[in-house]
Amino acid sequence: MSSSDGIGQLRSIEQQFDRECASVADLRALEDIRNRYLSRKSGLLTTQLQNLRNIPAAERAAFGQTANAIKSKVETALDALQNRLSNVEKNAALERERLDITLPGNRRRLGHRHPLTIVRKEIEDIFVSMGYTVEDGPEVERTYYNFEALNIPAGHPARDPKDTFYVCDDVVLRTHTSPVQVRTMEKMQPPVRIICPGRVYRRDQADATHTPMFHQVEGLLVDEGITFSDLKGTLERFHKQFFGEQTETRLRPSFFPFTEPSAEVDVSCVFCDRSGCRVCKHTGWIEVMGSGMVNPKLYSFVNYDAQKYSGFAFGGGIERYAMLKYNINDIQLYYQNDVRFLEQF
Amino acid sequence: MKVSLNWLKEFADAPVDARELGKKLTNIGLAVDAMEVAGGDTIFELDVTTNRPDCLNHLGVAREISAVFGTPLRKPAFKLRESAKATSSAFSISISDPDLCARYCGRYIIGVKIGPSPDWLKQRLEAVGVRSINNVADISNYVMMELGQPLHAFDADTLSGQEIIVRRAEIEERMTTLDGIERALNPSVLVIADARRPVALAGVMGGSETEITAKTTNVFLESAHFLPQSIRKTARALGMNTEASYRFERGADIEIAGYACDRAAALIQELAGGEVLRGVIDVYPSKHKRGVASLRRQRIPAFLGADVDNTIVENIFARLEFKSEKTSQGWNVEVPGFRVDISGEQDLLEEIARHHGFDKFPSTLPAWKGFGSSLPGEAEERRLRSILSGAGYGEIYTYSFSDESTERRYRREVDPVKFINPMTEDATTLRTSLVPGILKTLQWNLNRGARDLQFYELSKVYSRAGERRELILCGCGSIRNQSVHETARDFTFYDFKGDVETILATFGAAVTLGSENLPDYYHPGRSARFGAFAVFGEIHPEHLEAMKIRHRVVVAEIDIDRILSARSQAQVQPIPRFPAIRRDFSLLLDKGTQYAAVHRIIAESGISEVARIEPFDRIETGSFPESKYSLSISVVYQSNERTLTDAEVETFDRRILELLEQRLGAQLRK
Repeated sequence: MSSSDGIGQLRSIEQQFDRECASVADLRALEDIRNRYLSRKSGLLTTQLQNLRNIPAAERAAFGQTANAIKSKVETALDALQNRLSNVEKNAALERERLDITLPGNRRRLGHRHPLTIVRKEIEDIFVSMGYTVEDGPEVERTYYNFEALNIPAGHPARDPKDTFYVCDDVVLRTHTSPVQVRTMEKMQPPVRIICPGRVYRRDQADATHTPMFHQVEGLLVDEGITFSDLKGTLERFHKQFFGEQTETRLRPSFFPFTEPSAEVDVSCVFCDRSGCRVCKHTGWIEVMGSGMVNPKLYSFVNYDAQKYSGFAFGGGIERYAMLKYNINDIQLYYQNDVRFLEQF
Repeated sequence: MKVSLNWLKEFADAPVDARELGKKLTNIGLAVDAMEVAGGDTIFELDVTTNRPDCLNHLGVAREISAVFGTPLRKPAFKLRESAKATSSAFSISISDPDLCARYCGRYIIGVKIGPSPDWLKQRLEAVGVRSINNVADISNYVMMELGQPLHAFDADTLSGQEIIVRRAEIEERMTTLDGIERALNPSVLVIADARRPVALAGVMGGSETEITAKTTNVFLESAHFLPQSIRKTARALGMNTEASYRFERGADIEIAGYACDRAAALIQELAGGEVLRGVIDVYPSKHKRGVASLRRQRIPAFLGADVDNTIVENIFARLEFKSEKTSQGWNVEVPGFRVDISGEQDLLEEIARHHGFDKFPSTLPAWKGFGSSLPGEAEERRLRSILSGAGYGEIYTYSFSDESTERRYRREVDPVKFINPMTEDATTLRTSLVPGILKTLQWNLNRGARDLQFYELSKVYSRAGERRELILCGCGSIRNQSVHETARDFTFYDFKGDVETILATFGAAVTLGSENLPDYYHPGRSARFGAFAVFGEIHPEHLEAMKIRHRVVVAEIDIDRILSARSQAQVQPIPRFPAIRRDFSLLLDKGTQYAAVHRIIAESGISEVARIEPFDRIETGSFPESKYSLSISVVYQSNERTLTDAEVETFDRRILELLEQRLGAQLRK
C-alpha cells in the first residue's frame, strides 16, 4: 500500500469522523464514537496506526505524522464534546429539579408579643437607659397607699366608690400605680429614680377609650435640687425617644392632689405633625400624661426632708401610647384578643 | 363649665380674638374643651379642675384673664335702694350647727312681681346652659354664674314663723325637693328649716312647698356658706348633683356671701320690682380670717428651674388679688377668700409658674450618679417570650376580672378577692386562674372562624392570700397547616409536653413527671404535672362541650416565677472528643408497660457510657402477640476517654437487653 493511498484513507476517516461527530447528541453516542475511532483494539484510527509497519519506510514518517495529527484532533474534539455534553446533562439534571418558586414560602408559625407588652418594654427600656429602676407592687392595695399617702384623705371625691373598686373599707384595686412610689419611698431615702408599670382599675364603662382595667407607667424622681425644668426636659427626651426626634412635648397647668404644680402633658400629634387632624381634634396636640412636681405634703408620709429634696412624678396609660404608636382606634381591641389583630404585631 | 365671652368682657378685656383667648386659657390651666360661636357670642366649655372653684363663674375666669393680659378687673356695679323697715324686724335667722354652716345671709324683698325674665337675662343663662324659669329664680342663677355664690329664693309667705333655722335634719324627717321627689332625711343632712319643717336641703336644693311661683309676692333670699364635706356627703347620699352642690362641695367664697346677696336683691328690685328691707341679716359666728402664705424668692429658681423678676411676681399677685408684702426673704401673701386652693409656698410657686408661663422655663435633664435597672428576672422573661414566640404562641391580655362561680369551677380551694361594688355580674372578683380567660379567648376566635390557635398569657392571678404571676399556654387545631408543601397535623398532648419541657430545661428546672392531684377540668388520661412547676394536658371534653368548643384543646399552666427563681446557671460541658455509637433496638413489651420503665432501667443500668436514650417508633399491632406492643429505641453510647470498641458496645447491649428482659419481660422483636 502506498503512503498516498494510506494518507487518503486517513483523510476519508477524518471526514467521516467530522460528519459523525457533528451528530453526537448525548454522552452515550459520544462513547460509541470514541470507541469506533479510538478503541485500543478495533478503533478506526488505532488500526490505521497499527498499519504503520505496512507502509513503505520512506513514507512512513509522513503517514505517521498525519495519523497522529488526526488522532490528536479527534481526541481533542471528543474531549471538548464530552465537556459540553456533560455540562448539558448536568444542566438538564438541575433543570429537572426546577421548582415553582412562585408558590408561597413554607412559613414557620411564629407567635407574637401583645402590643401592650411591646410598648411597656419599650417604655421601660427608655427609662432604664435614663437611669431609672423598674419597680413593682400589689394591685390589691390598701387605701393608705392608694389615697391617704398621696394627699387624698378620707372623704375626698377621688375615693368615691362609683370610681373605685372596693374590696373592703380600707382595701381597693389600685386606681393608679402611684402606691408603688409611696412604697418605694418608704423603703429608701433619696435619690429615688423609678418607674412603676402595671395594671390599674377604675369603674369606667367600657367604650372606645375606656376599659375598667388598663395599664399605666408612672415615674418618680426625688433628689436634691430637682426642678420643674428637669420635669420638662425628662418628658421631652422620653417622647423623642418613643415617638421620634421630631416630637414636641407641651406641659399645661392642671391639678392632681399629689403634685404641685401639676401639668397635663401633650405631644405634637403623631398623625398630622401638628397640622391638625381628626385624632388631635385639629389642635395639633394629643394628651398623653399627667405630671407635676411632687407635692411636699407627700414627703411627710415617707419621712423625707421637704426642705432638702424636691422631685417630680408623671404617669400615662400604656394603652394610650400603643394606640398612638400603632394607630389603634379602639382600646377594647387589646382585650378581645382577636388573632386578626394580634397577628399584626 | 360653660362661659360666655360677652359676659367675661363685662369684667375684663382680652386684647386678642376668641381663638387666641381659648389658647391662653388652656395655657394657664383652664383647658378649653370646646368653643362654640353663636348669636354674636363665643361660648367656651372650660374644664375647671376640682381645686379651682373660684373659676366656676364669670368673675373668677375674668380675674384670670386680667392676670394674663394685665388688664384691670371690673366688678359688677349696682345700686340697692333699701326701705326704712329693717330686715331683722321681719325675719330671724339662727345657725344650730356652725361647724356645717359658717355664714348665712338673708334678705327680705316684698311686693315683687314674678314674671318672665327679660331677653338679655334669658339669653345669658341659656348661653351657659341654664334654663330660664322666672325672673327671681333666674336672678339667683345669674348671680351664681356671675360671682360663684349659690343663692336660694323662698316664697316668704310659705315659710312659717318668719324664722330660718340652719340645723341637722331629724330622724325620719321628710321633705319634697324642687324636683318633686320626696326625700327621707337623717341627722347627717343639713337643712334649712322654718319654725315648723325643713324647707331646703342646705346647699343642694330647695323644697317644693316654698318655691317661687307666679303668685309669690314676698321673697326671702338666702346667700350662705356650707362646709364642703357636708354638702358632698348629702349630695352623694341622696344621689343629687346640682349647680349649687357642685360649687359648695369644691369650696365657695365665704367672703362674698353678703355682697352676692345684695347684688341679687338689687337685680330683683330692678327686674321684679318690690321693696328691699333695710340691711342684710348676716349670721357669721366667726369671721373668716385670711391665711398668709410666704414665698422665699430663692425658691423660684431652685424649684422651678429659672428665675422670675420681682416685678413679674408682684404683678401676678396683684392681678390675682393677692395682697403681697415684701419681706427680707421674699413675700408674705394674703390669701383671698375665693382661693380655697392656696395655703403655702408651693401654691404660690404654682401660681407663678402658671401665669409666667410653663414655656418660660427651660428644659433640662437632672444630674445623676446612679444606675438604672429592670425588674429582677427581666432577662429571663424576655428569653421566655422569645421562646414562646418562636414556638408559635401569640400573647393575649385578658381582664383580671371574673365571677365566683367561674372561679369555683377552676380553683375550688382558693378564696377569691371579691369586690363590694362590682360593675357587672360577670366581674365580681379577681381571677384565681388564667384558664377561663384563655378558653374564652379561644372561644371568641373559634366563633369568628379562626382555626389552629396557639396562645399564651403571662399575667397575675389573685387570692385573698396574695397575687402571683402565672404562665398559661393553649393550643387548638393543627400545629402544622395543610398546604401545598405539608400535610396537616393536629396539636397533641406531646407537643405541649415538649414545650413545657423546653421551658423547664431552658431555666434548668429539674423536675419529675407525675399525675397526682390533677384538676378535674383536664382529660384524666391525657394530663400530667411536673411537680409544682406545671400542670398540662387536654381539657376535659365535657368541659369543652359546656363552652361549645368542639375541638381538642391542650393547655399548660406554669408557675413561671417558681421556675425562674429555681433556675441554675448552666455550665458549659466540653464537646466529646470521641465518636458516639448509636444502637437501635426493637423491643416487644407488654401492653401497659410505660416508656418511663424502659428508660429508667437503661438509665440506671450502671453503664456510665449511656449518653442518650430515645424512643423512635411505636407499633401497636403486627406480627407479634396481641398482648404486646413494639417499641423501638435508640441508645447512644459515648465515652470521654476513648473510642469504644465493638466488643465493649456488645457487652453494653447484652447487659441492657438482659435487664429489660428480667424486669419487664422485654424481648427483641425478630
